[in-house]
Amino acid sequence: MQTWETRLVREPPPRLRVEHELRYELAAPLVRRAALWADLGCGSGVAAEHASAGFEGRAVLVDSAPDALEHAGRLVAHATTLQADLATPEGVEQVRTTLLADPPPGERVVTCFETLAHLERFAPLVELLGVLAQDERFTVLLSVPNDAFWALENPLHPTVWGEGSFEELRGLLPEPLVVLRQVPLAGSAVVVEGQVAGGLTLPGVDLGGELVPSHFIAAFGPSAHELGPRARAAGVDADAERRRERQRESDLAVLEARLADPGPPPG
Amino acid sequence: MKVAFVLNNLGLYGGVGIVVEHARRLRADHGMDAQLVLAPRERRADWTHAGLVDVPVRTLDEARGERWDLAVATWWETLPAIYELDAARRAYFVQSMEERFYGPGEPERAAAALTHDLPLAFITEARWIAEQLRALQPGATVLYVRNGIDKAVFGPVPSPPVALDGPLRIVVEGSPDVPLKGVPDALAAAAAMREPHTVTLVCADREAATAAGARADRVVGPLTPAQMADLYDDCDVVLKLSRVEGMSAPPLEGFHRGATCVVSPVTGHEEYVVDGFNGVVVGWDDEHGCARALDLLARDRGHLHFLRVNALATARAWPSTGRSAETMALALARIARLPSPDPTGSGARVLAAARAAMEEHAVQRRDHQRLQTRMDRVERIMSRGPLRAARKLASRVRRS
Repeated sequence: MQTWETRLVREPPPRLRVEHELRYELAAPLVRRAALWADLGCGSGVAAEHASAGFEGRAVLVDSAPDALEHAGRLVAHATTLQADLATPEGVEQVRTTLLADPPPGERVVTCFETLAHLERFAPLVELLGVLAQDERFTVLLSVPNDAFWALENPLHPTVWGEGSFEELRGLLPEPLVVLRQVPLAGSAVVVEGQVAGGLTLPGVDLGGELVPSHFIAAFGPSAHELGPRARAAGVDADAERRRERQRESDLAVLEARLADPGPPPG
Repeated sequence: MKVAFVLNNLGLYGGVGIVVEHARRLRADHGMDAQLVLAPRERRADWTHAGLVDVPVRTLDEARGERWDLAVATWWETLPAIYELDAARRAYFVQSMEERFYGPGEPERAAAALTHDLPLAFITEARWIAEQLRALQPGATVLYVRNGIDKAVFGPVPSPPVALDGPLRIVVEGSPDVPLKGVPDALAAAAAMREPHTVTLVCADREAATAAGARADRVVGPLTPAQMADLYDDCDVVLKLSRVEGMSAPPLEGFHRGATCVVSPVTGHEEYVVDGFNGVVVGWDDEHGCARALDLLARDRGHLHFLRVNALATARAWPSTGRSAETMALALARIARLPSPDPTGSGARVLAAARAAMEEHAVQRRDHQRLQTRMDRVERIMSRGPLRAARKLASRVRRS
């Protein structure tokens, strides 16, 4: 089932969380050896934390939501936070100034996962990413969701992305460009009762044929060519998922009842 | 950034409307000084495109005296004008491979084809055009910017109504006089249906279509976009059997209002039509096959609704004109930032295209001369009068 949750917190459905963590794992080898890493649209930093293990450089976490940013600042080591609205030229200029003011020598990486879809206007940010890669030697990784496939009207995504819009976007990014398609997997496991099945090895998965991607990932800049296939799997906490679904159903019923009968005006 | 979009006219053409809307949005939302420059000396047949009041329209003479960051040709005949402008960069917004608008013997065909060999950055609305341009000029900058739909007018309906019964309501759009639009084919296919249906033909010249005996229950037009949206609201199927399109808008506009489509496999349909999922793609020149496809939709209302639901979902994900202008702004900025295309190779391409056109012309000329020789012979015989009279004359001569 497609859902709207995009702000990653500790309890999202496993599929969303694995997808997000995988993107950061993809970036992790580049981040680990970078002197400067910017995560644009970092949210609460839960997934960014995955990329930051072993990172010794300077991290700049950018988001428009102060509470999420404060949370991210606590999770990611060596991080400074910047509250900026990436949908505006002013917010993008703040990022540019922060990143280019006295950058430390060494490799530079920008991650910008699932951020463009949250922006009413994405042109200023896309232009900045191009400039950072072309003129300032940043390696940039960005992703957009394939919302168009499901025709999801996500209230948190003012711009719809999909195969067509990604095709438009890739022409606007600097060459050489590495394009990756993130595809969903399904699985199941058998475990022995009473035994902890940590580090379970999964067999090879045949991804032959044209699978519809859940996300499109583009990488460009000096180290983009190092990226390659990668997968991640996680157990499903069905108990938490059930609680979550039932909570949604219950909340929805209550809200609909309130809408139908708002009751006497307050006071 | 100061951008000149060079147009050939401001007539009632979809392609002109798209350029006008881009210019308006680029000015209003992206801080660009986008202007329209008319290439011909005389203005012809202006149409009140929405948004035209917000965009300066300049003559070529006026524009020639100014410095431009970017000059963008929008039709093959506007190419010479962009070279007359003092512009830092030049680009070509290609909305179709325009040589296809002309027949094999027409000189414009070769001239239009030749413009795709020029060393320019290209922007186009459809992937099939992008692929052709990349094949013609490997390494050229070819940027893809889809035409947006004005969601203020064609805002997607919440859900398509379920039409369990009643005649299948078909809309055909286009002038019957323009062969490339395939309107007579569409009307003939609808007329060949067995199931109950109604056909509404929308065309700019309603009286001419009626006088020509267009086989439709109703002929309307010209319609404003808002009137088109109202028409699609009362429609199940947009029937479009065009032979040449860059990317046809009417079926997609119909999608927004809850209609599905039956289309020919014309170039650009693949941008949004998936056969059997959100519309039906029928074969070329298959009047009866098309009629049977329409009959199926008229009979199987479950299938009709399935197509309409998916058509609406496709519409929801399609970019608005605002989104399209944002991508256009990025495309123009990228072209302005990139160095001018290397003209090496362009001369060879242009000469090769000219050579091909010349040889095609030579073949046509030989055919013409051969026909002329035959016609001369026929005319000589005809000039001697009717054959029977000639025989009588011959026998009289023999008798005498």
